[in-house]
Amino acid sequence: MSAEKLTTLEDAAALVRDGDTVAIQNMATQAAPMALVRELIRQGRQELGVVCLVGGIPVDWLAAAGAMNRLVGAAVSMEQFGLCQRYRKAVEAGVIRVEELSETALNARLGAGARNLPFLPTRGLIGTDLIDVNDNLVMLDDPFGGPSVVACKALVPDVALVHAHKADRFGNIGYEPTALWPDLGIMPKAATTVIVTVEEIVDSEVLRANPDRTVLPGFMVDAVVEAPFGAHPTSFYPCYGYDTAMHLEWIGSARDDEVVAGFLEKYVTGPADHAAYLEAAGGSERLAAVEDWEAS
Amino acid sequence: MSDWQNSPPAEDWTIDELMIARLAACFADGDQACNGMASFVPVSAFWLARLTHAPELVWLAGAVGLEPRPDRVPASTLEAPLWRDSIMYVEQYGDFWTIALNGRWLTKFCVGSAQLDRYGNGNNSIIGTDYHAPRVRLPGTAGLGDMGSIGKALYYWNPNHNPRSLVENVDFISCAGYLGGGTERADAGLEGGPELVITNLCVMDFHPETRHMQVASLHPGVTFEQVQEATGFELPTPEGQLSTTAIPTVEQVRLIREVIDPDDMRRREFGG
Repeated sequence: MSAEKLTTLEDAAALVRDGDTVAIQNMATQAAPMALVRELIRQGRQELGVVCLVGGIPVDWLAAAGAMNRLVGAAVSMEQFGLCQRYRKAVEAGVIRVEELSETALNARLGAGARNLPFLPTRGLIGTDLIDVNDNLVMLDDPFGGPSVVACKALVPDVALVHAHKADRFGNIGYEPTALWPDLGIMPKAATTVIVTVEEIVDSEVLRANPDRTVLPGFMVDAVVEAPFGAHPTSFYPCYGYDTAMHLEWIGSARDDEVVAGFLEKYVTGPADHAAYLEAAGGSERLAAVEDWEAS
Repeated sequence: MSDWQNSPPAEDWTIDELMIARLAACFADGDQACNGMASFVPVSAFWLARLTHAPELVWLAGAVGLEPRPDRVPASTLEAPLWRDSIMYVEQYGDFWTIALNGRWLTKFCVGSAQLDRYGNGNNSIIGTDYHAPRVRLPGTAGLGDMGSIGKALYYWNPNHNPRSLVENVDFISCAGYLGGGTERADAGLEGGPELVITNLCVMDFHPETRHMQVASLHPGVTFEQVQEATGFELPTPEGQLSTTAIPTVEQVRLIREVIDPDDMRRREFGG
C-alpha cells in the first residue's frame, strides 16, 4: 500500500521553511510551479535561496516580495518580456547574491546531489571568470592524464517545486505527451523534499495505462496538490500557453515600488487561494484564451 | 524547392535579411544547429538554409524539438509554437547536453552577447567591476558558458553594432573566446572558438595568429570608418580593398518575408 501524498496548497507550502534553498522548475516563460510560488509569498516566507535553470516571473515575484536573498542558476530572463527588473534591482543593490552557473555546471551540481557524490565534473566554463567568483567550482586535473575539468560541488536543495500534468493521490507524477521540462530530469531527484502541483489528480489506473509517461515515482514525492492552471501565467504545454497580457502588466508595473505593491496585492497576497487567484487573473474567459497556445 | 540558385540580388533588402542570409551561409548539410531564447536571427537563418542550400541541416529548435515544423517564427524561440510537429523531444539533462558535449554533433553555435571584446570573449553576466554588486545585472550565461569552452565554432550575431556592445575588454568573461589573444585559448586546453561576428554594419573574423577581431567584409554602403566609429576598440587597418557582404537574393528575401517570418519577429532584435 502506497502512502497518501495528496494535500492542500497551504499545507504543502508549509513544508518550506524560512531560509530554505528551493529549486524551482522554470524555463523563462515556461512551466513554473506558480501556485506554490504565490502561496510561499502569501505565507510570508523569508530569506529563501532559489535554484533555477532559467528563472522568469517566479523569481521576479519572489524578489519583489522580499522573499529571497540568493539565487543559484544559469540565467534569469522572461525572454520576449525582457529582464526580471525587481530581481535585477535587488542583485545590483547587493540584496540578492547570485551564484551563476552554466547549464552543465548546474546539472553537475544537482546530479552530484542526486547521486550522493561529492562533485561531478564538466568541461564547460573553462576560461571564463565564472570559476573565479565561485567556491563551488574548482579546476581539477584529470587523474587519467587528459585535459583538466571543472569539479562542481554537490548541491542538495532543501525543497524542489514542480508542476506536472497529473498525479495519483500517492504522488506518482504523470506527463502528457509533450517535451519534458528541462530541469525535471534532475532537480527533484537532488532535493530533500519534493512538492508537486498538477493540473489534475487522477486514479492510479490512468497512470498504469501509460507508465512511460510517469516521470517521478511516488516515493520521491512528499506532497502533491491539485492546482489547475497551476503554472499560470507561465505556459504549460499542451494545456496552455504563457499569458502575454499578465507578463506585460507585470513588466509595466515592475519599475515603480508602489505599482509593484499593488500588483502583488491584486494577484498574489490579496486572493485567498488559488481559485481566487484565477478569478483575479481574469477567470474562465482569460484562461480559455491562453489555452489556445498555438496562437502564442 | 524554390529556384534559389538562379535568383538575382534583391533591390529592396533590409539589414535583418542580409544578416540572416549571411548567417545561413555558415550552415551546411551535415551540420546540426540549435537555438536558445530570443534568437530570431539564428532561427530564421537555419530555416532559410534548410529551404535553400542545406535541406539536410538538422535543427534542434529551442534545444528541445528535433526537426520541427512551425508555421512561422513565433514571438518566443523557446516555447512550443516553435517546436511543434517535432520528430523527437530532446530531454535537456540526459539528451541535449550529451549531444552538445560529445564533440561529433552541434559543432557550430550562434551566440548573442551583451558585450563582446576584441578577442571574441562574450559577457552576459554583469556590467561593472564588483561581481556581487554590479552596476548592471545581465541575464546570465545560460548555455554560453558551456558552448565557449567545449570546442564549438562560435558565430556571434549583433544587430546593434555600437561601442557599448563591442568593447576592448569585456567586464566579465562568461563565454570563453580567444581569452587574451594569441595562443591563450589553445594553452587553456580549449578547442574551437569564435569564427565570425555578423553585425548590422559588417562581418568580422579573427586574425589566425593574434586572434584579434578584424573586418572581413563591409555591408553595402558602409565604410570602414563607420565601423571603427561604432566599435569600442581599434580595428586593424585593412590591407587593400575590403570585400562587400553579399546582398540577399530576391528568393531569399521572399522566403524570409513570406514563409519564415511573416510577422517580422526578426526586427524585434534591431534598434536596441
